[in-house]
Amino acid sequence: MASGLLAGGLGSLLGIGGGIVLVPVLVLGFGIPLEQAVPASLMCVVANSCAAAASYVENKLSDLRLGLTLELATVMGAIVGGLVAAFVAEAMVAVVFGLFTLFVSLQMLLLRTPLQEPVSTASYVPTNYPLGISGSFVAGGLSALLGVGGGPLKVPLMSYGMRVPFKVASATSNLMVGVTGAASVAAYAWRGHLNLGLVAPLVVGVLAGASVGSRLMPKVPTAVLKKLFAAVLLLVAGQMLWKGGEGLWPSIWK
Amino acid sequence: MAEHMEMSEANPAAHGVLSSVGRPGAGPPPRNTQATAVALPAPLPEQLEEQLEVQLQQEPITHPDAQPRAQRWARRAMAGERWIARVLRTGAVMSGGMFVASLALELLPRGESVHVAIDLLRKGAASMLLVTPVARLAMAGTLLGLRGEWRYTAIAAGVLCLLALAVGAGFQA
Repeated sequence: MASGLLAGGLGSLLGIGGGIVLVPVLVLGFGIPLEQAVPASLMCVVANSCAAAASYVENKLSDLRLGLTLELATVMGAIVGGLVAAFVAEAMVAVVFGLFTLFVSLQMLLLRTPLQEPVSTASYVPTNYPLGISGSFVAGGLSALLGVGGGPLKVPLMSYGMRVPFKVASATSNLMVGVTGAASVAAYAWRGHLNLGLVAPLVVGVLAGASVGSRLMPKVPTAVLKKLFAAVLLLVAGQMLWKGGEGLWPSIWK
Repeated sequence: MAEHMEMSEANPAAHGVLSSVGRPGAGPPPRNTQATAVALPAPLPEQLEEQLEVQLQQEPITHPDAQPRAQRWARRAMAGERWIARVLRTGAVMSGGMFVASLALELLPRGESVHVAIDLLRKGAASMLLVTPVARLAMAGTLLGLRGEWRYTAIAAGVLCLLALAVGAGFQA
């Protein structure tokens, strides 16, 4: 429940769902098999999205139109990713994604002149839709290939690529991950991999964490959120490089 | 006077009175015509007519305190977003409540009925949680459609269809 609380708080603040925190904690901390940890964390992503997005939609932090547009591209990417999964070297994709997230996180951490963001979240217009749509398509494909949520890719994409304010990008990503997460959980549940005994305490913790996180987010300075996001991205990069290295190392050794 | 009569016959509208019914001493009106004199308004300048037309289009007068269209749209948008938030919050709270109840039941001594109740509560909570974002998506599409933004309704329908396809095929989106 405590790890759910942490994941819920962090996920709602940064728009990444919280799976990135939960899966390592469940697998390494509690010794739960990955086949059960992944659907349980996805269920928590859905819970987090529902609880936090309610507040964000009401406060006009989530951009419904942008979310719908990018969601379509993400789902299409996920289907294509699922179709080509058999023909793509997963380890190689993990390494490329790991290097990309490492680059983005270092840029966010080291950037000294932050981008000028509008004061009000209502006074902006998303730009560069082709980049956003194609990026979301890639994010969907990666989520199907690597089992990572689209949040770590979509938030920087919206924030830096489409000039959407960071908080709006985070809130919109939070709204989007719920739908894609629900579809993924349904697929796992269909195959009987969903352990509800494990899910119950996690969801309760996540709902409490998301409730706190969604109330905190509008008050936290954007610079702090960006640094926190960069730190989480570093964690994702580490996980991906580890995963890729594990897959590539035997072939290099030979 | 004769000049005046000629002018009004040549251009009756210029004086705002129908020549056949309004002239003094013109005699009784022919059968099947109105016997009253109808004063017609003088024609308005074109610019003024256009202005009036625009004003009428902007503010259809249905009742005295009718609001401008922009305000009504803004109010509808606000109400729509509030409804989406309500759907999300209701789903999360009900699902959370059912999970909490199932955890509370675990504290009771184990029996067949308790076990069945826990199982039912957890399945119901999980189903509610999974349905909530999909309901939100459908609702957002419908509300944007009602506002006239049909493009987003089509996008929402497309996402729902693709999700159904993905779940049916067993892909993980």
